[in-house]
Amino acid sequence: MSVLAAATIATTMAACGGDDDSGGGGGGGGGTAEDNEATDPGMTEDSVLIGAHYPLTGPAAPGYSEIPTGVQAYFDFVNANGGVYDRQIEWEYLDDGYNPTNTGQVVNQLVLEDEIFAMMGGLGTPTHNAALDLLNSEGVPDLFVASGSSLWDNPEENPYTFGWQTDYESEGKIIGQYIAENLPDAKVGLFLQDDDFGEDGERGVRQYLDDEQIVEVQTYTSGNTDLGAQITALQQSGADFVIGFNTPIYTALSQLTALRLNYTPEWFVSNVGSDPQLVGSLLERFSSGAVTGTSLLEGVYTTDYLPTVDEVDNPWVQLFQRVWDESGQEGELTNFRIYGMSQAYTMVQALQAAGRNPTRDDLVAALEEAGGDFQGPALAPFRYSSDRHAGISGMSVSRIGANGSAEELTPVLVTDVGDAEIEEYDGEETTPPESGIPDEEAIG
Amino acid sequence: MEEFLSLTLGGVVSGSVYAAFALALVLIWRSTRIVNFAQGSMAAATTFIAVAVIDSGQSYWVGLVVALLAGLVLGAVIERVVIRPVEGGPELNAVIVTLGLFIAIQGAVALIFGVDQRAFVPPFSNIGYEVREGFTLLSLSPNTIWTVGAVLVTMVLLIALFRFTRLGLAMRASAFGQEVARLLGVRVGRMLTLGWALAALVGALAGMLIAGDVSFISPNFMDQLIVFGFVAAVLGGLDSPIGAVVGGLLLGLALSYVRGYLDDSLLGMAALVILVVVLLVRPGGLFSTTPARRA
Repeated sequence: MSVLAAATIATTMAACGGDDDSGGGGGGGGGTAEDNEATDPGMTEDSVLIGAHYPLTGPAAPGYSEIPTGVQAYFDFVNANGGVYDRQIEWEYLDDGYNPTNTGQVVNQLVLEDEIFAMMGGLGTPTHNAALDLLNSEGVPDLFVASGSSLWDNPEENPYTFGWQTDYESEGKIIGQYIAENLPDAKVGLFLQDDDFGEDGERGVRQYLDDEQIVEVQTYTSGNTDLGAQITALQQSGADFVIGFNTPIYTALSQLTALRLNYTPEWFVSNVGSDPQLVGSLLERFSSGAVTGTSLLEGVYTTDYLPTVDEVDNPWVQLFQRVWDESGQEGELTNFRIYGMSQAYTMVQALQAAGRNPTRDDLVAALEEAGGDFQGPALAPFRYSSDRHAGISGMSVSRIGANGSAEELTPVLVTDVGDAEIEEYDGEETTPPESGIPDEEAIG
Repeated sequence: MEEFLSLTLGGVVSGSVYAAFALALVLIWRSTRIVNFAQGSMAAATTFIAVAVIDSGQSYWVGLVVALLAGLVLGAVIERVVIRPVEGGPELNAVIVTLGLFIAIQGAVALIFGVDQRAFVPPFSNIGYEVREGFTLLSLSPNTIWTVGAVLVTMVLLIALFRFTRLGLAMRASAFGQEVARLLGVRVGRMLTLGWALAALVGALAGMLIAGDVSFISPNFMDQLIVFGFVAAVLGGLDSPIGAVVGGLLLGLALSYVRGYLDDSLLGMAALVILVVVLLVRPGGLFSTTPARRA
């Protein structure tokens, strides 16, 4: 039933790339526009088509539906400056309503009918998982999946798929270690989405917290909005510190439910569900009672792997603010749009590294060879190589203060899945290039 | 024990909302022998109209009245314009028409009001009563009392309408045997329209109650409820208002225990297992009357 419904209200938004290739330059590498050739599907002489699937409707849509508008803004910015190797980047994204059945359909459409050259930023663990086989069997580069599941880092089985954000297991480890070191007496409850997202996070957390300290584990299924049973169980277990691996609306729902139960633990919400602007705006309406907007989130612990919109002095945030303002789209710059622009930035780096007339396989090879050295807005480097397709390697722990600003509690910590140590990142902070557009050398 | 109490009360509250929804389905089934799959999106539409009214600065109660009236009008218009042409034809036609309506209305709501999640603040506090130090009953709050109370009052009013008024008698007669009723001077067409209008009104109430319960609504927020409401109506035999209410409560309790003692990912499956078992054991539902009813 919901499949039918979501399909009809699905909004199809294609990019309006335009044919303006007057800019010429851009991207570096030899040759001119005359040397451009069409290669694989989606790569023509003057354009390259990138696609993705997002929840634009339904319970996962708040926040996430802003990501593709950020991507659009950055691609528009690059296109206005000549594109990459004189090609305009076209951006097409479809709504899957965070329903894996729909994801299969829309990815089919993107790959077989619309013929995208590559997918970038397909969102969600259960959703993208439904498209994994198709993309890999068709040989479509499946870059920067917008999910921290470890599924995307498996080059042997899925040679075309690459992760991007810090994986949930590494995040769980960093969260676990922080609590073990700083809050050793906390009685910890886990509130998890009942799929790989929650499982990976739990696996990480459990490396640093033992069964005695974790007093309760509760899961929810995305789509079921009644959390009464779960939050009651957490309360009854005596947990006074809840770690949530959940999507943003479930942060709002769990906070509201806890409030209704007079349950006031401390919260550590993993990066995915903690955006203070979004959760604050969801809770705003309830502010006439005891809840007041972001103040409900005040004191909540979270993690960061990208600069956030409140850091107005950060040069990356300044760049993205400029790009967003120039794009003329509705709405404010948000952390979700920063996320989209950051992914678009990495995408441009990958296209540059792939050279003037790359095939799909060339794009994958370029990312494996050069991706580990890409400098961008991320706080820690990527782990890309020929045998690793894992994204950003670390994050920092922060605490949400009044009016949604974040206070950093740790330096950037880098680690990896499995039993890799957690270490302080010793690299320098990056700054964006003058032009705002990366300039990667073509490989080979 | 405390968990059992908490889950039971939770089951009664959600069950009463399923009951309201099942009641709406039963009203339409009784009058026109059609299962109205569009009920969910009709209720979503009236709830969004109420939200628009509330957003413009009016109180919840003005919004509620507007939603109920909008439901009344929507139900009547849909019966006259869309359902009337397929009434009396093959049953499948009418079912497909209501499925089409379901999608069309949901799409229209999305177009008009957007697809974003919106906060919906219930009229009363939904902070649970603290029964003892450290134990708060989530399902016992001013808002849940209002929810259950509103459904009970509606049910009593409907029963009174059907039992004790000439109008109710005429509606029952139209549903029972159109030809005979017509011969006796009942304006059957009007009664059918009225049946749809009343059903949509009850559906609109269910929409407002569920919205207050789930806190955030989007155009498809009623999708899950239509499955549960349908199961509740079938449990009760589709024909009996009291059956719908009892069916709703039973389903609410069963699902609440599943959620509490098993896992909430099993909810949809549990509802369908219950449906299959009931249909196998008592094909006419728990409260089925004799097949002869079907004149």
